[in-house]
This record gives sequence, C-alpha cells and structure tokens, in this order.
Amino acid sequence: MTHVAFQPRASDKAPKVELEADYVVVGSGAGGATAAVTLARGGAKVALVEAGPWRDPEDYPSSMYGTMRDMFDDFGATVAQGRAFWPVVQGALVGGSTVINSAIAVRTPADVFERWQREQGVGGGLGEAVWRIQDELTRELNAVEVPAHARGKHNDFAMVASQKLGIEGHYMHRYVRGCDGHGQCLQGCKRNKKQSMNVTFIPELRERGGTVVSCAPVERVLFEQGRAVAVTGTFREPVTYARGADFVVRARRGVLIAASVTHSPLLLKRSGLKLPALGEHFRAHPGAPIIGVYDEPVDMNQGATQGWASLHYREKPGFKLETLSLPLDMLAGRLAGGGTLLMQRLSEYRHFACWVQACRAESVGRVVAGPFGKPVVKYTLDRADMERFREGLVLVARMHFAQGARAVLPGIFGVPYSLTRDELPLLERAPLDPRAYVAVLSHLFGGCVMGKDPARSVCDERGQVHGVRGLYIADASAIPSNLGVNPQHTIMALARHWSQQILSAA
Amino acid sequence: MPASEQLPGVADTGVTEFLRQMKRESGRTYWLGLVLGAWVYALTPIMTVFVPLPAFVLPASLRDRHAQRIMQTRVYLIRQAVFLVRLSAGLCWGRDPRVRERLGLGAYAADPGTYRTT
Repeated sequence: MTHVAFQPRASDKAPKVELEADYVVVGSGAGGATAAVTLARGGAKVALVEAGPWRDPEDYPSSMYGTMRDMFDDFGATVAQGRAFWPVVQGALVGGSTVINSAIAVRTPADVFERWQREQGVGGGLGEAVWRIQDELTRELNAVEVPAHARGKHNDFAMVASQKLGIEGHYMHRYVRGCDGHGQCLQGCKRNKKQSMNVTFIPELRERGGTVVSCAPVERVLFEQGRAVAVTGTFREPVTYARGADFVVRARRGVLIAASVTHSPLLLKRSGLKLPALGEHFRAHPGAPIIGVYDEPVDMNQGATQGWASLHYREKPGFKLETLSLPLDMLAGRLAGGGTLLMQRLSEYRHFACWVQACRAESVGRVVAGPFGKPVVKYTLDRADMERFREGLVLVARMHFAQGARAVLPGIFGVPYSLTRDELPLLERAPLDPRAYVAVLSHLFGGCVMGKDPARSVCDERGQVHGVRGLYIADASAIPSNLGVNPQHTIMALARHWSQQILSAA
Repeated sequence: MPASEQLPGVADTGVTEFLRQMKRESGRTYWLGLVLGAWVYALTPIMTVFVPLPAFVLPASLRDRHAQRIMQTRVYLIRQAVFLVRLSAGLCWGRDPRVRERLGLGAYAADPGTYRTT
C-alpha cells in the first residue's frame, strides 16, 4: 500500500529511488490502470508508474486555465502538425485522460475486429473476449445512461433534433455514479461522480498491495538478454517542473507500456527499440463543433458535458455526432473574430448549444520526437476525410435548425461567422483545406500497433512486443485502426484481456 | 477583448498578473507560442489597418479593427499565432467572477493546484 510521489534530488548524491515488483506498468490511464488492477487481482505485485501527479477530486481545478495547467499533457501544447496545427488533448496525471474525458462507454463494434483480422492478421476470437470484459466493466464501473435530471437542455435538444430528422440518437452510457449534471467533466468531476481511474482501479490497486509512483516520467525501459527488466527516469515536480531524484523500478516478470499514443512509441524508441512500425500508423477522430444560437437560453454549462450521441453515420460516410458543452473560458478562444465584435458574440453565451462531429478519419500519421523531446504528431487529413469532416458539420448544422436555432456558428475560415438556415449551402461548399478549421484530436490510436508482421506492427495480439521478452503494450497505441466510437471501453477491455493472458502464461 | 456595455474587458480581469502566473506555470512550448503570437499581433497593423505602428500605440478604434481583421487574415500561420493570444485572453477573461456573473454563470472555485504528496 505505497504511493511514492515526487522525491527531491538530494545534494549528497543519495542513491536512486529503487523499487521492485512483479510487473511494472508505465502510465495510469484507461489502459495502464486496468492492466495494473487486473494483474493485482491475479495476485501479482504491481508498480504503476505515472508521469503526472496524483490529484484527488478536492485537488481538481475549476477553470480551464487550471485544467490545462494541472491536467493536460504539456499544458495542452501538443499539436498534430501537417497542413494544419490541431491540438492533441490528453490527460497527464494519475488516471490519465479518464479524469478529463466524459467517461463514455461504447461497446466495440464487430466490424472493428473484422478489420483487424483482415488488415493485421489479429482479432480472431478477440471480439468475444473484449465484449465479455466490457460487460464486466459496465457492471464494475456502473456504465449507465445519463439520467434525465442530469441531461440539461443542450443534450435534450440534440435528442429532439435527431428524432425530427430521423437520425438514430441516444443518451450516452457513461461510467458515473449519481451524476447530477454539474457540467464540469472536462475539468475533472469535483463531485466525485465520474468513475475515473484515479478514484476506482488505482485505489483498488493500492489496497491489493500495489505501488503507485507518481510525478515520475519514465525515460527508458532497461533490457537484459533480450528481456525488459526495469524502467528508469527522473522525478519531476508538477508545479515548478524541477527535476528530482532518479528512480529505477525493477520488474521481475514484465513491463507493460501504457503511456499514451504519443508517449508510448517515443519511450520505446528512446529505449533503443528498432521496430520499423514504431511511431507509425497513427490515427484519430478529429472533431470540430458547430454552435447553434437559440432564442431561449440553453445554458449548456448545465447538465452532462457530453450526454447525447449518434452512431447513425459511423460506417458511412464515417463520423460520429455528439454534444459537447464548452466552458465560457474555452469558448472565448474558439469563437471567430476579435475586439468589440468578439465581446458582442460572447454576450450570447447562454444561448449557445455546442454539438460536434468526430470524423472516423482514414488518414494515417506518425508520432515523432519534437523539440525538447516532446511528442509531435505528423498528421494531415486527405480530401476524402475532409469531405467526410465537412459533411458531419453540415449535418450538425441541420440538427440545430431542426431544433429551432436561429443561426449556427461554423467557426470555419472562409465561411461567414453566422449562418441562417437559408445560408446552409455556404457550409456545404466550405473549403476542404484543413487550415480553415479549428479541430481537436481527442481519440488517438496507433504508434505501437498490434499485428502478425513485425515489419508492420510493434506487438502481437497479446500485446507482446515483437522480439522482446517481458515487454507488452497496454494502451490505445496498440489499436491498429480507428474505431468510430469513443475508445475508453475498448482500451480498458483490451488491457484487461492482455493482462489476463499474461497471468495465464506466467 | 475590450470592455463592452455588458461585459468587463480582459484588461479589467487582472490580465497582467495572469500573464505572470502563466509565464511561471505554463510549459515552455505554450509560453514561446504565446510570446510569438503577441509579437505577431503587435507588429501586423500594417497588414490590417495599413498603419505602420505597433498595435499597442494605435487609437482604440483602429486597434479594435486590427483585432477583428487579424483573425481573418489569409496567412494561416499568423491566424494560428494570434489564436493562441486570444485563447489565453479568453482563459483569463472567462474565469473572472464579474464576467461570469454578468453572463449568469456561477463563480469558479479557486484552482487549488494541489496533489497527493504521500
């Protein structure tokens, strides 16, 4: 029952902080925490090593500034670089992105496994295992539909709009207990309703004798005779960024990497792995909003931040629709314009409803090391994806108008700030240049993808890294395609499945 | 983000102290981007209002026009650089209790900035 937080660097050349466990798991998000608790339930001694600090709900910030400072990886400055610069949003604290996301649980669609089988030679039988585990997770973490009292107008409006247009739509299932629609999912749920990893599996891991090492970015995996035997790094103070003591965490049986799609491949590269697919096959669901302006106040800050979704167009043309309330302090940077004009626009905040499309993009990118060793994603949507992307936005605009919005705000360069229903053709003809859009990448996949062929993949379908004993991947970096649905449920199920197989093999 | 009849402007929301805090607390990449964006904003009135002066010495009406037009420039890198300035201004402005009250929003609790040390 140990938690080792930041350890200062001693002036007298004190020895490193040294720990030992059966398994070392790097990263404590959906994949890492699930893997760690699964191994611990199987009787193994586990050390969970996380780059960020451990924040409890009473430590959570309220403002978006505080959220970027305390919860986002690198202050939210990680970007996908291609034709456009689009931010990549990831959590960097104990619990990872599960602290800042909307805890959405969506069962992995069957076609995903068929695709993995077809393209990567993996996935045969994986579907049944994943679905069985997803049923377990649904029970354990209470994945339930957003309750009526917690929906808020912006989610209810979306449901009615989808019904009017004959589009499948549903209130989301989320890992929550007693959600009261406080509307601060992005900033972490201060009311402790969201079942993020830092308040569920990680406390359980400690109760089962596991060790949590926080403020501890891992720099390298160490190998002996072709086997992963330890991880090493230097503590980092989360407020001042001061470097602390060095640490080594030894693994008697194995090391699991779950440091995120951007960090896992870079960690393995820094550790000397030469697999050609390392950092390759990056994919994402780029998302962008259309804001509807209504005569009556919508108050999107009240109710679940995300409470409604549609998978109607997931397969063809390939996008997901969902609600996403943006806090005022984030929206101020998102609306078009500047000066007094921007202030006039912001004064209508209570009348805004923000709905987004998340594109199931087929474009592929790569993760490389940028300045200061930070991850940089090289990624550009091709024309087919941009057409899909735009089509999704048009549909969101149609939903707003069906629900009675007096105007929509596309936020697209080259398109007027505000469009009425009659002006919708302007959105349909919006530019296909990614630089015209302010999009965000929030669902990330790849970088250490699984597959049979070591020339085209990093690990096999058990998560075992090709050619290295005792080294496994346990996060979304192993996922070789996009899913077209929110990934947390899939990541957790895969991580548990792989961990159970590791235990069986041991 | 100047003051309007309805709303305080960013200058009324403690932006100087906010910037000091941001310099201390943000990552290197973000801060460098913000400084670059501020320079770009300051030096581009020649492109928008055709006056060869930095933005901070322009009269208010011209500065306002510059703020609107610079976000509509065709040069993507300039738009992106200034976007970061506006995002930062929005983070400062949108958390201010007076702004939030005027818009019918509850005040934010303080950001404790704390974490488990044991």
